[in-house]
Amino acid sequence: MKIAIVGASGFVGTRMVERWMLDSPFEVVPVVRSYSSLAVLARFDLPWRVCDVFAPDALAKAFEGCDAVVHSAIGDAGQIVQMAEAIYRAAEAARVKRLVVLSSASVHGQAPPESTDETSPLHERHTMAYNNAKVRAEKILRRLSAAGSVEVVMLRPSVVYGPRSRWIADTAKQLLEGSACLIHGGEAICNGIYVDNLIQAVELALKVPRAAGEVFLVGDAETVTWRTFYQHIADALGVSMDSVRSIPPPLFVRPLKERVGDYTALPVTQKILPLIPGKVKRLSKLLLTNWQEPALENAWRLPSETPCATTEELTLLQQCTWQLPSRKAQAMLGYNPEVSFDEAMRRSLGWLAFAGFPVAR
Amino acid sequence: MSNNAIPTVLVGCGAVSRFFYAPSLTALEAKGLLRVEALVDPSAENLRALAEVFPKAQKAASLADLPLASRLVIIASPPKFHAEQSSDALKRGAAVLCEKPMANTVAEAGTMIDAARESGSLLAVGLYKRFFPACEAIKGLLEKQPLGRLKHFEIEEGGKFGWQAASDSFFRKSVTPGGVLLDIGVHVLDLLLWWLDEPAGVDYEDDAINGQEANCKIVLTYPEGVRGEVRLSRDWGTRNEYTFRFERGVVRYKVNDANHLEILADGMPALLAGSLQEVSRAGERIFPRGMQRTNPQSFIEQIRNVAAAMQGCQRVRVPGEEGIRSLRLIERCYANRRLMPMPWLTACEADAARRLSETKGAPAK
Repeated sequence: MKIAIVGASGFVGTRMVERWMLDSPFEVVPVVRSYSSLAVLARFDLPWRVCDVFAPDALAKAFEGCDAVVHSAIGDAGQIVQMAEAIYRAAEAARVKRLVVLSSASVHGQAPPESTDETSPLHERHTMAYNNAKVRAEKILRRLSAAGSVEVVMLRPSVVYGPRSRWIADTAKQLLEGSACLIHGGEAICNGIYVDNLIQAVELALKVPRAAGEVFLVGDAETVTWRTFYQHIADALGVSMDSVRSIPPPLFVRPLKERVGDYTALPVTQKILPLIPGKVKRLSKLLLTNWQEPALENAWRLPSETPCATTEELTLLQQCTWQLPSRKAQAMLGYNPEVSFDEAMRRSLGWLAFAGFPVAR
Repeated sequence: MSNNAIPTVLVGCGAVSRFFYAPSLTALEAKGLLRVEALVDPSAENLRALAEVFPKAQKAASLADLPLASRLVIIASPPKFHAEQSSDALKRGAAVLCEKPMANTVAEAGTMIDAARESGSLLAVGLYKRFFPACEAIKGLLEKQPLGRLKHFEIEEGGKFGWQAASDSFFRKSVTPGGVLLDIGVHVLDLLLWWLDEPAGVDYEDDAINGQEANCKIVLTYPEGVRGEVRLSRDWGTRNEYTFRFERGVVRYKVNDANHLEILADGMPALLAGSLQEVSRAGERIFPRGMQRTNPQSFIEQIRNVAAAMQGCQRVRVPGEEGIRSLRLIERCYANRRLMPMPWLTACEADAARRLSETKGAPAK
C-alpha cells in the first residue's frame, strides 16, 4: 500500500516515516510544505513531495498514485480548518481510497466531563481556539465524505508523547530549570498515548474496512496521573519531585492577538474578510502587532523563585478527571496498545539521553 | 564612491547572499572600500532580488564572460559549484572569498588550493566565526591559560532546521554528500582546529539511515588527556552552547552570541555573564571603549580582511589551507562512522536501520 503522509516532518509524522520505512510493508510518500522541512526526513532516501498544503491542486499532484493519505499536519486555528478541506478535495481528485485524519481528543476539551466518549456532542465554545478549529475540521470532513468518494477515518488522541515530543523534552527542561509545576499536585489523569501506539491505531484505521466514516478516541491502556508522568522523567534526570511545586490553576488572560485570531478563523468572518478594504486590514494588523499586553508578572517576588512554566492547555489538562475510553477502537479496529506505559517511558527517556539530556539511568 | 574601491563580483544570489553578503557589501560600499560590479546566478529570479540592492551591478548567468582580474570574487553558490567556480576565478587573476563549506570534498578543496598557488591569487574561506570576539577570547584563554589548562569541553549546536532552502538539493545525498556535520559541523570543527589543533582521536556516530544525518556525536581526544564531546542537530533545539572546563573555572559561549561570554572561575559564587568590550590602557588603568564586534559586524570584518589582504595591509585570516582542515576532519569522521544507538526503535527497526545504514549509509566521498 502506498501512503502519503501530510505533515511528515512533525513529531508524529517523523516517527511514522521512521517506523514504516524500517518495519512495514507500506510505501511511504512524505508530503511537506517547505524544503527546510526535509532536514530530518532526509535521513532516509525518500520520494518526498513538497507543496502548498492549502492548495488542493498541488496536493492532488502530490497524492498521485497513493492508495491512502494520513493527515498529521498541524497549524494554527485557521490553517487547521483550511487544511481539512484542501486535503479531502485533493484526495478525491487523486482517487485516494481512504484518508486517516489525526484529529484530537481536545474536541471534547482538555478536561472533558466524566462519561465522555465518541458519542458526546461537540461544541465550538472552548476557550482554546485549537479545540474549536479541530471541531470545525471534523465537521468539514464529515460533510465532505458524506457526499464524496474518499473514506474518512478520524482518530482522537490526547497527549501524544514519545521521542521528540514536547511533553517529554519540555517537561525535562522544566524539571532541570526548576520551573516544573503540577496543578493540585498532579493527581489528575494524563490521557496519554505513546506515539507508536497512535501509529498502530493509524495502521488499523488504514486497513479495517468497517472503520470508514468512523471516529475513534485512542489512548494508552494504563491509567496514569500527571504526577506519575513527571515522576518517570524526574527520576531519570535525578531531579527530586520535591522541587516540583503543587499549584492551584492559574488564571489565564489570553493575548489580544490570539483572541482576535479566534474570530478571524470563524467561517462567517472568513466570508466577510474579503469585503473589508485592504487599508483597514493593514492598519488593524499594525495595531495588533504593536499592541503591548499589560504585564501580569509581579516583580516583587523572592529572587530565588523560578516562575512556573505552565500554559492554559497544560492547566486544563492537569484538571482532567476522566480517562477517555478506547473501547470503540478496541471493538471495531482491534486496537490493543502494543507498548505499555513503562516501556513507552523507557523509550522516550532513551531519546532524551540521545538528545543530550543528562539522563542518569 | 572611492576610486580605490575594489571591484567585487558576487557569485550565487540565493539566501546566504540575500541575508548575509548583500547587507555586508552595502555597508562596505558605503565606506568606499569596494563596489559590487557584477552579480552571477543562473536564476533570473535570484538575480532580480539582488539587483534591487545593487542596481548598478552587471547581471550574468555565469562567470564566463566577466572580467575577473584584480577583482574580489565572492563564491556563495551551492557547495557543489565551489571548486569549479573558485578555481576558474583564481586562474583568471581574482582574489576569492569562498563561502563555507569550502567544497563538498577534500579532493575538490585541494584543487582550489592548487589553483591559488599556481596563479598566485588569494583564496579565503568564509568561516567567519573566527572573527567573533568571543571565539578570539576563547583562543586567548586556551593559549595564555589564565584559568589553567583545559581539561574537557562539551559542545551542543543546532536546532530545528530553519534555513529557507530554495530546492531539495541540499537534502539529496547524491548532490550534497553530508548532513548536519557538513553544514554546521564545518564551523564547529574549524573553530576546534583553530583553538586546539588536530585531535589525536576521533570517534564519530550519526543517525543517517540511507540518507543524510540529522544528528551526530563526535568524541575528540587530544594529547595531555583533553577530551571533548560535540553534538550537532538539525532535528531539535539543542542548548546551543560550548562549555570549556579548565583547571580553575568554566567558560561558556552561546552559539552565535559573537561578543558575549559566561565565566565561572574558582572562588566566584555565581556565573558572570557579560559582553566583551574594547579597552584602552593607560599604565595600569583600563578604559572601556564600547562593545566589540557583533555577529553581523564579524561577517563584515571577514570581507574587510580579504579586501585588506588584497591591498597588502593584512594577512588573510582563513586562507584555503586553513579552510580545508575542517573538511579533512569531517571526512575522517565519515570514514569512521557508526550508526548512533536509537533506543526508541524496536529490535526489528534497529536491525533494519543497521542493515540499511551499512549498505548505503556512509556519505559519498
